[in-house]
Amino acid sequence: MNYRSYFKAEWLSLLRRKQDTLNALLFFVMVITLFPLGVDPSADFLAPAAGGIIWCATALSVLMAVEGMYKEDYNDGSLEQWLVSGLSVTLLVFLKVLAQWLIVVVPLMIVLPILAQMLFLPMSVLGVVMLSILLGTPALFFIGSIGAALTVSLRRGAVLMLLLILPLYIPVIVFATGAIRAAQLEMAYSGQLAILAAISLVALALSPVMAAISIRASVN
Amino acid sequence: MNWTWFHKLGSPKWFYQWASNWGGRCVYLGLALLVIGIIWGLGFAPADYQQGNSFRIIYIHVPVAVLAQSCYLGMGIAGFVALVWQMKLAPVFIKSVAPVGAVMAFIALVSGAIWGKPTWGTWWVWDARLTSVLVLFLLYMGVIAIQNAIDDQVFADKAVAVVSLVGVINLPIIKYSVEWWNTLHQPATFKLTEKPSMPMEMWLPLLFSALGLYLFAAGLAMWRMQNEVLVRERKASWVKKEVLEHGV
Repeated sequence: MNYRSYFKAEWLSLLRRKQDTLNALLFFVMVITLFPLGVDPSADFLAPAAGGIIWCATALSVLMAVEGMYKEDYNDGSLEQWLVSGLSVTLLVFLKVLAQWLIVVVPLMIVLPILAQMLFLPMSVLGVVMLSILLGTPALFFIGSIGAALTVSLRRGAVLMLLLILPLYIPVIVFATGAIRAAQLEMAYSGQLAILAAISLVALALSPVMAAISIRASVN
Repeated sequence: MNWTWFHKLGSPKWFYQWASNWGGRCVYLGLALLVIGIIWGLGFAPADYQQGNSFRIIYIHVPVAVLAQSCYLGMGIAGFVALVWQMKLAPVFIKSVAPVGAVMAFIALVSGAIWGKPTWGTWWVWDARLTSVLVLFLLYMGVIAIQNAIDDQVFADKAVAVVSLVGVINLPIIKYSVEWWNTLHQPATFKLTEKPSMPMEMWLPLLFSALGLYLFAAGLAMWRMQNEVLVRERKASWVKKEVLEHGV
C-alpha cells in the first residue's frame, strides 16, 4: 500500500457504495424541505433565509456523512493496517477526508441550483453560496474527522460526536452566511470568503494530526 | 530557570502531598475573600448612576464568567501537555476542572440573564458574548460527555486531551466570529493591565471577589485532583500507606 493506491482504493469503494452518497444527498434535501414546511413557505421569508437554511442543512449532512467514515475501517481491521503499514496516519486521514469531501460535495453542488430555486434564492447570489460551500465544507469535514476518530470505537458514538463537533462548526456557518448576506445586500463579501478559506486551511493543517492521535488511541 | 517544580508535578505522589498542604488553604482563603468581596460589593459599594442597584450582580457575574474562560484555557494547555509530554497529571487536571468550569459557565449564563432583564429588558439576546459563553458551556459538556462515554482509562485520557486542545484552538475563532456577527454586550469591564474604568470603591470589591473565586476554584480543583489521583493510584504502595495513616 502506498498513498496513491490507498486513495484510489478509497475512492473506488466510495464510488461503489452509491446508496451512501444518495442517502447523504436525500438527507440534505429533507432538511431543506423542513424549513418551508415548518416555518413559512412564502418567498418573503425564504429568500433572505435561504443562505442560512442551505448552510444548516449542509452542516448537518456533512456531519452525517463524516460520522461513520471510520466505522467500517474500524470493524474490518483496516485501521489497524494503517498503523502497521509504515505510512503516516496523518496523511492517510488527509486522503480519506479528501475522498469523502469529493463524494459528498460534488453531488451537493449539482442539486444546489435546483434547491436554491425552490427557496427563492436570487440567481445573483447562487454563485456566492456555491463558493462559500466549496471554501467552507473542507473545514467541516476535517474538524468532523476528529470527532469520528474519537468515537469510532464507542457503541453509541453518533450523538456524542454531534455534541462534540457541532459547536466547532459555528464559525464556519457564521462566516458563510455572512458572505451570503453581504452578497444579497450587494456589499463586498470577499473578506468573509477569505476568512472561510483560512479556517479551512487551519483545519486542514491541524485536524489530520489530531484525528491520527485519536485513531491511535481508539485502536490501541 | 529552575524547572524542578515542573518535573515534580509529573509525580502523582508529590502532587498529592503538595495539594494536601495547599488545597485547603486555597479553598478557605478564597472563600473568605469571596465573601468579603460580595458583601462589600452588594452592601457597601456605591450604586451605579445609570443602572442603580441592578449593576451589583457584576460582583458574581464577572468573576464567574472570567473563571469559566480561564478554566477552559487551562484545560487546553493541560491537553497539550498530556499529548506532547504525556504527563500523568494533565488528564487528571482536565477531568477535575471540566465540571468546575461547566458550572461557572452555567452560572455566568444564568446571572447574565438575570442582569439582562432589568438592563436590556430581555432574558436572552443572541449577542456575541452570550452566544460564545453558551458555546463554551456546550464544549465543557462535550468534554464531560466523552469522559463518561469511554471506559478505558488510557483512551479516555487521550480523547479528552484532544477535545480540550481542539476546543481551545477554536474558542477564540468562535468568540471573534460571533462578535463580528452580532454584539450588544458591553466591552470587558475588568482588565488588570489597564486603569479601571470604574471608581476604586466599585472596582476593589470586584477584584476581591474575582481573586477569591480563582483561589476557591484552584483549591477545589486540587481537592478533586487528589481524589482522582487516589482512585488512579490505588494500587501504589504510597496510597495504601497514606490511607492507613491519615484515612480518606
